[in-house]
Amino acid sequence: MKFDPTLPDDGANVSATHPLREAATLIVGIAIAAVVVFVVLTAAVELLLPHISPALEARIFSRPEVVSAIVPDIQESRDSRTAEVARLLDRLAGHWPDNPHSLRVAIIDDETPNAYAFPGGLVAVTTGLLAEVASDNELAFVLAHEVGHFRNRDHLRGLGRGLAFALVVGVFGIGGSAGAAELAGAAGLLAAAGFSRDQESAADGFGLALVQAEYGHVGGAVKFFERLPKPDNAIEREIEGYLSTHPLSAERIDAMWALMRERGWPSDGPLLPLAAGLAAPTPGE
Amino acid sequence: MDSTTEALINLGLPLLLLVATYFTGSMVERRHYLSIRARELETRQLPAITFRTPPRRWEISDSGLVSGSVVISVDYFKRFLAGLRQFVGGRVKSYETILDRARREAVLRLKAEAAAAGYAAVINVRLETARMANGRSGNGIAGLEVLAYGTGIKLRHGAP
Repeated sequence: MKFDPTLPDDGANVSATHPLREAATLIVGIAIAAVVVFVVLTAAVELLLPHISPALEARIFSRPEVVSAIVPDIQESRDSRTAEVARLLDRLAGHWPDNPHSLRVAIIDDETPNAYAFPGGLVAVTTGLLAEVASDNELAFVLAHEVGHFRNRDHLRGLGRGLAFALVVGVFGIGGSAGAAELAGAAGLLAAAGFSRDQESAADGFGLALVQAEYGHVGGAVKFFERLPKPDNAIEREIEGYLSTHPLSAERIDAMWALMRERGWPSDGPLLPLAAGLAAPTPGE
Repeated sequence: MDSTTEALINLGLPLLLLVATYFTGSMVERRHYLSIRARELETRQLPAITFRTPPRRWEISDSGLVSGSVVISVDYFKRFLAGLRQFVGGRVKSYETILDRARREAVLRLKAEAAAAGYAAVINVRLETARMANGRSGNGIAGLEVLAYGTGIKLRHGAP
């Protein structure tokens, strides 16, 4: 036997596909699959919503372990302000005749002005919001807006979407590295924020109606939104607009003005001062 | 740190790593292949064959164990690709070049050791692969080891 030197085959064991091409195919494919699963799950949430009566909802969310799992670490501030906010909330909710929820109030220790509607009838406002409002009317509109979320069942919808989103990221995040999960997370947040803008406007409309019924005018409502501090730089503003739970977009404010003109609600009127317990909180409870 | 900055860092850092490791990984790989091909050409006169017994006409004067091993690591980008691939299944193409390079490098080192010891050929060449795990959890790959070993033989009449 004669030895005939040959060089190893340079490629039989290596696929010719360019790594970037493979990366693009995989990322796009998996992203499409994730979006499809998310859309199907959110559609399932919409189908499920009418079958969850407010009574059932109240029963589910009266359990403290459920609440603590859903409501993100609330640092509750307990003083005279809670009772004052609850009093105002009750007055406003009184203009919604068939309100099936018994609404509760929590004050979150957070400097960012914000308010939330949590499942189970919990309305949470931040200390930052309470510091920002200048009149009864302004606070009333924020609370009425949250009541609007309850009427449209956005709180359950949001929870369902959040669960669907967590599920998709969880499942699809396992396959990719942490980086893939982050990418999917950002994309999903954008999509979720896109959905909720219509919900925000619907809640605005209902909130304005409650405020009008309470005071006979909607003064203070829009002005408060226009007065809120805007993010400093352009990038942050962009992200804020997409990601914040309550995007204070110009479209939203325009929609509110349009609604006020259409219904003939006066946009000006006497503003009531904040209740004493709110302006100067006294520790209690 | 507010949530916006946090989101940017959480998003940007992995992206930056992916881009950077794609370029460094490609460069390392290209250089390695250049070196592999050059040395394969240089050492082609030293046969490393898989026969268990030498050809009958070879008159063997001496023999001994020779081995060559290499530990080679995957980069962040390749691992990311493999992670995505793991999700849908199929050929993990991003690891193919790693294993190909490791096998050829191991054989080249085996040949280098054989040449240094004065052997004219290596027979019964075998390849082993081992995964070196990262940390105690055993998750993640620190590197792949490929070991090539065989029997170096000296011939009475010189070259085969």
